[in-house]
Amino acid sequence: MFPLKDAEIGAFTFFASALPHDVCGSNGLPLTPNSIKILGRFQILKTITHPRLCQYVDISRGKHERLVVVAEHCERSLEDLLRERKPMSYSKVLCIAFEVLQGLQYMNKHGIVHRALSPHNILLDPKGHIKLAKFGLYHMTAHGDDVDFPIGYPSYLAPEVIAQGLFKTTDHIPSEKPLPSGPKSDVWSLGIILFELCMGRKLFQSLDISERLKFLLTLDCVDDTVIVLAEEHGCLDIMKELPENVTNLLKKCLTFHPSKRPTPDELMQDKVFSEVSPLYTPFTKPTSLFSSSLRCADLTLPEDISQLCKDINSDYLAERSIEEVYYLWCLAGGDLEKELVNKEIIRSKPPICTLPNLLFEDGESFGQSRDRSSLLDDTTVTLSLCQLRNRLKDVGGEAFYPLLEDDQSNLPHSNSNNELSAAATLPLIIRERDTEYQLNRIILFDRLLKAYPYKKNQIWKEARVDIPPLMRGLTWAALLGVEGAIHAKYDAIDKDTPIPTDRQIEVDIPRCHQYDELLSSPEGHAKFRRVLKAWVVSHPDLVYWQGLDSLCAPFLYLNFNNEALAYACMSAFIPKYLYNFFLKDNSHVIQEYLTVFSQMIAFHDPELSNHLNEIGFIPDLYAIPWFLTMFTHVFPLHKIFHLWDTLLLGNSSFPFCIGVAILQQLRDRLLANGFNECILLFSDLPEIDIERCVRESVNLFCWTPKSATYRQHAQPPKSAPDSGVRSSAPYFSSECPDPPKTDLSRESISLNDLKSEVSPRISAEDLIDLCELTVTGHFKTPTKKTKPSKPKLLVVDIRSSEDFIRGHISGSINIPFSTAFTAEGEFNQGPCTAVLQSFKGKVIVIMGHVAKHTAEFAAHLVKMKYPRICILDGGINKIKPTGLLTIPSPQI
Amino acid sequence: MKKNRERFCNREREFVYKFKVGSQCLELKVPLKFPVEEDASHLHGRLMLLHNLPCFIENDLKEALSQFIEEESLRDYDRDAEASLEAVKSGEVDLHQLASTWAKVYAETTLEHARPEEPSWDEDFADVYHDLIHSPASETLLNLEHNYFVSISELIGERDVELKKLRERQGIEMEKVMQELGKSLTDQDVNSLAAQHFESQQDLENKWTNELKQSTAIQKQEYQEWVIKLHQDLKNPNNSSLSEEIKVQPSQFRESVEANGRIYEEQRKLEESFTIHLGAQLKTMHNLRLLRADMLDFCKHKRNHRSGVKLHRLQTALSLYSTSLCGLVLLVDNRINSYSGIKRDGNRNGGRDDKTKNTDRNYLNILPGEFYITRHSNLSEIHVAFHLCVDDNVKSGNITARDPAIMGLRNILKVCCTHDITTISIPLLLVHDMSEEMTIPWCLKRAELVFKCVKGFMMEMASWDGGISRTVQFLVPQSISEEMFYQLSNMLPQIFRVSSTLTLTSKH
Repeated sequence: MFPLKDAEIGAFTFFASALPHDVCGSNGLPLTPNSIKILGRFQILKTITHPRLCQYVDISRGKHERLVVVAEHCERSLEDLLRERKPMSYSKVLCIAFEVLQGLQYMNKHGIVHRALSPHNILLDPKGHIKLAKFGLYHMTAHGDDVDFPIGYPSYLAPEVIAQGLFKTTDHIPSEKPLPSGPKSDVWSLGIILFELCMGRKLFQSLDISERLKFLLTLDCVDDTVIVLAEEHGCLDIMKELPENVTNLLKKCLTFHPSKRPTPDELMQDKVFSEVSPLYTPFTKPTSLFSSSLRCADLTLPEDISQLCKDINSDYLAERSIEEVYYLWCLAGGDLEKELVNKEIIRSKPPICTLPNLLFEDGESFGQSRDRSSLLDDTTVTLSLCQLRNRLKDVGGEAFYPLLEDDQSNLPHSNSNNELSAAATLPLIIRERDTEYQLNRIILFDRLLKAYPYKKNQIWKEARVDIPPLMRGLTWAALLGVEGAIHAKYDAIDKDTPIPTDRQIEVDIPRCHQYDELLSSPEGHAKFRRVLKAWVVSHPDLVYWQGLDSLCAPFLYLNFNNEALAYACMSAFIPKYLYNFFLKDNSHVIQEYLTVFSQMIAFHDPELSNHLNEIGFIPDLYAIPWFLTMFTHVFPLHKIFHLWDTLLLGNSSFPFCIGVAILQQLRDRLLANGFNECILLFSDLPEIDIERCVRESVNLFCWTPKSATYRQHAQPPKSAPDSGVRSSAPYFSSECPDPPKTDLSRESISLNDLKSEVSPRISAEDLIDLCELTVTGHFKTPTKKTKPSKPKLLVVDIRSSEDFIRGHISGSINIPFSTAFTAEGEFNQGPCTAVLQSFKGKVIVIMGHVAKHTAEFAAHLVKMKYPRICILDGGINKIKPTGLLTIPSPQI
Repeated sequence: MKKNRERFCNREREFVYKFKVGSQCLELKVPLKFPVEEDASHLHGRLMLLHNLPCFIENDLKEALSQFIEEESLRDYDRDAEASLEAVKSGEVDLHQLASTWAKVYAETTLEHARPEEPSWDEDFADVYHDLIHSPASETLLNLEHNYFVSISELIGERDVELKKLRERQGIEMEKVMQELGKSLTDQDVNSLAAQHFESQQDLENKWTNELKQSTAIQKQEYQEWVIKLHQDLKNPNNSSLSEEIKVQPSQFRESVEANGRIYEEQRKLEESFTIHLGAQLKTMHNLRLLRADMLDFCKHKRNHRSGVKLHRLQTALSLYSTSLCGLVLLVDNRINSYSGIKRDGNRNGGRDDKTKNTDRNYLNILPGEFYITRHSNLSEIHVAFHLCVDDNVKSGNITARDPAIMGLRNILKVCCTHDITTISIPLLLVHDMSEEMTIPWCLKRAELVFKCVKGFMMEMASWDGGISRTVQFLVPQSISEEMFYQLSNMLPQIFRVSSTLTLTSKH
């Protein structure tokens, strides 16, 4: 998107037509409201960027099918020029004609027809160039189907448009519906407008609408429409004085028969523009991120670098894109409806005055007068940026152009930056609503993303603070390491040929996050279908499992206009977090995953784990949709975003911690209830405080030894050359998957063995790691290493005391398994058990040489509500070769 | 014209693409269906894959394909356009009708071409009233309304007394006649007397109805004129006679002379509130309330706690022209113009309904599931009353979710959505009074049905209005036992998901 520059932001509103009562779609589901259809179709307009077109920014749905469209706007239009009632200079007319044609041609290339061309929709920017407004209305309303009002203005309708009449799909079978208007009808409208400009007056002012239209249709029988029009309006004199090329242009535009009328594209090539066209350079769309062409290919730096920062006093905000400015405007308290109400564009009656008197059973109502406030008033209201500018007046230039080179946190900074770092400690919800903070974040991320993948590390670092909602789509793509020619790749996938999965996809899509306007629009459904099919087709070894649709939803939502990116993100996400979950037979993967999950529950919350096991409420009953969809099936989109902002920074075992964190939020209710109530509770999961959930899962993650979540079916570590590239900074303990396997790593065990153990195993490697550091801060702060703090970890050796004396890990205590417990399952009291009790709450590692015994011992401790119990994988034998075992010097 | 159109719409056309591989000339033929719905970029990728085409032609193919589609679509547009022009020229389509259809649509849908708005008295009054009620004059307004109410109550009281007297007299007469029956008088005589009695009753009722109608009409007009005048006076305070009146408050509600014939049994009002969440992923919060109360309590101005009532009244008056209205569902039989049961009671309380517009479908019966809507400015807690027509079927134990009464509820909720009615009270058992056949199992079954249906409708509502938080009150008749009430209140959280209570615990 272009920078705002001196353009303004405008908004206009209209109503979508109401749906008939209680009619179902062909699939038996209720019909989609027209406003949602329009909202879906609108989205693509945001990507149409051209200097001759008003940039579309946003659409929002109000109450009762109202839509408000936000777009670039200029106060002046050709209407103002016409109001001067003076003929315009011919060269100016030619320039305007050419500029309009530029806009039309670009639109047509994207399959869009204006249909509502009129002098007040041709705006003039401060430099006198034109910009076409409302060019997307015909497209977004499905060629006028979804609104009650006709698109276009009576005087400017092309004859064929009038002749086709007004059709609604609702009263016709689609096949009988005439084709929508083609690009040529805009040329007629342009002809009328140019004619008016040449004559300096508006046409048909004395005729009422039906006479106007009749007159236009009778122009068929005349030889020269232009002459007839001039005669009709008594301006033959001016007509005769027109230079030849202008007359030619008018004649070409006002050709009655569309087959003989040129298209905008053809007209631009015409020789009438031979003088004008060299003045304009053809427009090339700037390449965006993730496109295969070189982004900096055309970048030229001026000879003198100081030229770049020549205009010191410039308006920094105006250099930001319209989209960003509008986003900030909203944050700074902008309220679209209020602006429109203030300008009296929205005039709603009190609802009590519009109530019907009688309603029949089929929903038909009587006695309801037609509400005048529902009439179309397409005046565009300029949104004042004063409030926003006022809000941002203290933000210095350095905020708009941050330096990316150095580590900013270490540098002393100006006041505003101190405020910012203060703001960074506020809750996320508040930060996301803070104008200045978001401005800084957006600009920072914008610049970092422009430098992706070079600045990948810094993106990771900043993402750990938070991700600005506006930049989330691209930031996630960067975090997932999406690179390369994603568009070409996506285009090359066959998304049309029917496949057996189609039926299931078709069933699932209308049930997936349908509260969301975007995803419930027909446009959204079509995109869903394509992305899902593309994924299924391009992953022949995997299959579509229900839940894949939910997984696709956040990516599609964030990259609605960029299916290729949505697809690429999803394809990168699945192997990272859901490796092999979508195998045709995924039971072993899921079973292992759930077993590890229940071990994690026992590790972090033994009391809850005991209770759940007691009532038989195992994760298989509730957690499969959690993990299979990475919680997208459980939470609404806005919560998923916050959850995934963190999830994407963690490794594949982070989801376990999220799961435990969710359980902990429901802890009281789970503990208090039996099996049936728990099932009921989870059938419709209560509200979860997502920020707390994220916070707690990070905390849980930090307490979890890396190898405790080892899964043999996890994604195998990346091959060496690849991991060399991925030098991204670790977030918690390690971003990269498991380091290369050594003897000390965990060994895979059979699922049944895994299931039989309550507590997770950890690898010898981890144990060594933890013991040597003997700090809890093993995850984050390496500086703490030196501090000889109280050990947070206890190794319990359950071999017989003889074996213990022969060699053990220093600092470990010995509680021989055979004598540890009384018959009642209580501890045999001893000095060592006292130590053990004092370590309750810390990580306790049980080691021995009989795996069964260690597992049993651990299970006992869990029963006694000892948290954070784990078992040393492979037992003492793993440690022996390391030479870490010490033999205490004989005491006596 | 129809035929013509079919000829070139939805036609398949063949796209031919020639390319060279080495010295070999190859030709690719693809049948394409027009109008093309798919994006050309999807298409060429598919072709490449399907025919295993060499990658070096990809860009060229893409270009050729999009050009082909563009040209062909343009041709279609032209043909279609020419055909419709031709149709007009040949007279197949009537030029005048065509033009007038266009003109009509423009006039009906756009502000620019619409007929200038005729001043709507309703809306002007709405503005005036809204202004006044939000000004110090509000109390005067309410007092005046109250006085009207009292005088109507008096009239109704008189009417009732007179009717009662008539009935008593007739009763005595009838008794006498009955005694004579078989002696000096025949059946026919009795019948004719009964007819006579009935007639005189009707006459008296009609007389009263007319009188009431008249005085309400007078009151309404008086009131409206007074409101307008007051508003004008307030705007230019110089020549104010009325604003003085406001300052010198009539201070007290005029005590009603007659303490309303019916003795209002002060049964303990039972009430329980719930906060619920609806929706699978995105949840909307709603408030539910289960009440044991009389439907008409929402309309009545209670006499006892005066200040509280006044506040209620003020609150209702303040929000009359706002976007959060309160509604009430009343169950009525199918005779609009008759005067019985709850309608009678409703009228007694309604007094002067400010804005009721009776339907013109008098003498035409409405069917179960249909309802008419009345609007009120002077009821204590509601603005809108839905008079839902039900038949005796609702008393039976086997109504289903497809019953007209339930569908009527759905339509009522729909109107609530479209007209910003945010609080609605519904008779939970679909009856206003309990009777013999309404046993405990009957009540439980009925309550479950209505709870479940309303839940379904509320979830549907989320898609109609985007999930606005609402208050739904379920009312059960006064005569229901306390025990029954608590059974119902236990049922509610099982059907609706009640949101978890926020438990404050110290951090560990």
